Amino acid sequence: MDKTSEEASSKGKKRQRDQQPTDPQTNQPHHQIFSLEDNLSFTDTLVALRMMRAQFPRIDKVSIQPFILRSQLYSSVKDRTQVDRELESLRREKVVRIFKLNTGQDDHAIMFLDDYLNQMENVVKRLEEKEGDQVFKWFRTHVIDSKLEPSIEHQELYTLLSLGGMVKDGHISLLINAGLLTRQLIDPNMYWFAIPNIGSVLKGLSQGRKEVLSFLNRRRYKEMMLASMEKKCLRFSPLDMRFHLRDLIGSGHLKTVQTSTGLLVRVSKD
Amino acid sequence: MWKEIGDRERGILRPKSFTTRIKSNRIRTLQISNHKDIVSPHRASINSLQVDLTEGRYLLSGAADASAAVYDVQRATDYEGGGLIAKHKCLFVVDKQHEHGHKYAISSAIWYPVDTGLFITGSHDHHINVWDTNTTQVVMNFKMPGKVYRTAMSSLATTHMLIAAGTEDVQVRLCDIASGAFSHTLSGHRDGVMTVEWSTSSEWVLVTGGCDGAIRFWDIRRAGCFLVLDQSHSQLGRRPTIPEHSATNKALTSKSLSSGQNLNAKPRAQQRKLANGNGTKQSPVGRMPAKGSLRQRLHPGMLSSLDRATAHYGAVTGLKATEDGMYLLSAGSDSRLRLWDVESGCNTLVNFETVRLQAGKPIQLATSQDSALVFVPCMTAVKAFDVWSGNTSQTFRGHYEYVNSCWFSSQEQELYTGGNDKQILVWSPPRLIADEGDEGPAQDRDNWSD
Repeated sequence: MDKTSEEASSKGKKRQRDQQPTDPQTNQPHHQIFSLEDNLSFTDTLVALRMMRAQFPRIDKVSIQPFILRSQLYSSVKDRTQVDRELESLRREKVVRIFKLNTGQDDHAIMFLDDYLNQMENVVKRLEEKEGDQVFKWFRTHVIDSKLEPSIEHQELYTLLSLGGMVKDGHISLLINAGLLTRQLIDPNMYWFAIPNIGSVLKGLSQGRKEVLSFLNRRRYKEMMLASMEKKCLRFSPLDMRFHLRDLIGSGHLKTVQTSTGLLVRVSKD
Repeated sequence: MWKEIGDRERGILRPKSFTTRIKSNRIRTLQISNHKDIVSPHRASINSLQVDLTEGRYLLSGAADASAAVYDVQRATDYEGGGLIAKHKCLFVVDKQHEHGHKYAISSAIWYPVDTGLFITGSHDHHINVWDTNTTQVVMNFKMPGKVYRTAMSSLATTHMLIAAGTEDVQVRLCDIASGAFSHTLSGHRDGVMTVEWSTSSEWVLVTGGCDGAIRFWDIRRAGCFLVLDQSHSQLGRRPTIPEHSATNKALTSKSLSSGQNLNAKPRAQQRKLANGNGTKQSPVGRMPAKGSLRQRLHPGMLSSLDRATAHYGAVTGLKATEDGMYLLSAGSDSRLRLWDVESGCNTLVNFETVRLQAGKPIQLATSQDSALVFVPCMTAVKAFDVWSGNTSQTFRGHYEYVNSCWFSSQEQELYTGGNDKQILVWSPPRLIADEGDEGPAQDRDNWSD
């Protein structure tokens, strides 16, 4: 790891001998060379988005394109208003798309438009060829292109899809079954745009959050060094610890304190 | 401080900037008061606080045990600690024992804006009482169809004396003190109305926030609301930038498209809603195929009721307009605080770092006099945020339980907060004990009468 090699060089050979036996035990994938402590904050939202997209954990069972949570952005860039405004302009320029997730109060997932289109392609390919497969093409060309908000009304969806051809109610059910749209619970007339095939990952997200928080809450002083937290493996979540730490720090459940030995992660009381 | 006084003497500093500087310095040093204490007679959580708008002297509090009390915040009733701590006991209390008092919790207690002769309380027992302060008698009583969450009177009004009441019923009712009847009702919300505020720039404009997450602006002289705030309409900055052609055209066409579609789908449901005066909750009716003739039956003023835009993902629990009437702050049960530009109706995307806000109960926000700071009750603490950048400027921790309301008195630069722990806490700039030590109550020569 970066940090340990720096420490080793500054402290001399003795440290190195201590660190070496632990290194093979950390069976982290190769792209986690950069420790979270070094990469906790960025200057710009787009830079942060790209870095976090590159650091998205690879999940074996589900093929899913990288997405970033809004709370992760808040923990990475200092000024939250700047994050909101830059996200808004990126969304208007059609660089990213924002989706509202159903895990918790104000969860939003941000995905680059190209990744989203790739994800859609993967899902649509796997679905059987029915007479309704035109609807995915119409959805892609007419709806995704013009409707940039995370939700859409039934009538508007109908009109936009009709630009491609004759739309029946069965077509909308196809879209819902594919996972591209979900009904809103409070309003039967409105739909949320959704990332297809994301269900298991979201379940892992909420379970992982609970696991991290309960792990820290069980400790005597409800805190732990960031460097040692990162090495822990999560049992219930396919997403790695770094993903969850960023998310929890950004949503305010955890806070980081700078100490003389590095960053400390603590459960926040408020 | 001395340099500023010297500059003011020589005329280098303008009087207004002198006062603003002193006031903001004092606000920056707010902490729990070391010289003032309000003794609250309430035996349940405090739901509402207001200092009167004419003199800034009397604090009115309403609590969940159906009691309302008035305190004089400028003159103490007695002194403790060798004259150092001023205790402010209540001047009077009206509670359940009063013959016309409320039976259940008082959710809102406000002063009559013109003078302190009247005050209005709204309660969960479905009644709004208008009290005469000097005789502590109820002079007028309005019965509402549901629990009253908030009452408000316009401080700018010169031609009307209407009390706007937000209840758990979907309609907002305006009660007239002069005639003792309801003047009209405003329909448009799809769930109870938790907050009502009058605009600070026009005496005819009312802003309401509902449990359905919508914020609507009503001009009471017309039917229907003229603006519904939508959180997806946003602008980057304090005022909207001059738009490029493509952006405006797209916005206009998508808006007209959606409103056109709405018309075709829902005129019949709207007619049914208008017919029912008692305001039972309506479940949204299923869509019907478009019929052109149905469009004519809907009053043009009611078209805005079809707009289902939401300002928050949960209920709107608090509203506060800035003094200049150009911006509106709203707090929601989705734990977000949003700043809206009233003129353009857009979300300014300022992010206030609120982790959790109380849901389920309306909260009262307060702004400092030049609207640079907003005081928000966040669970057990009160946080002061800078309005334009969203940064937390100060955190006030002192209450033992959730804080429900706060009121900032710009005259004294003091913040009064009330919460579920039955206490009213005063936060003021620290007074140096040494200076005030020799002056005590005995020296106060102005407090005399024949």
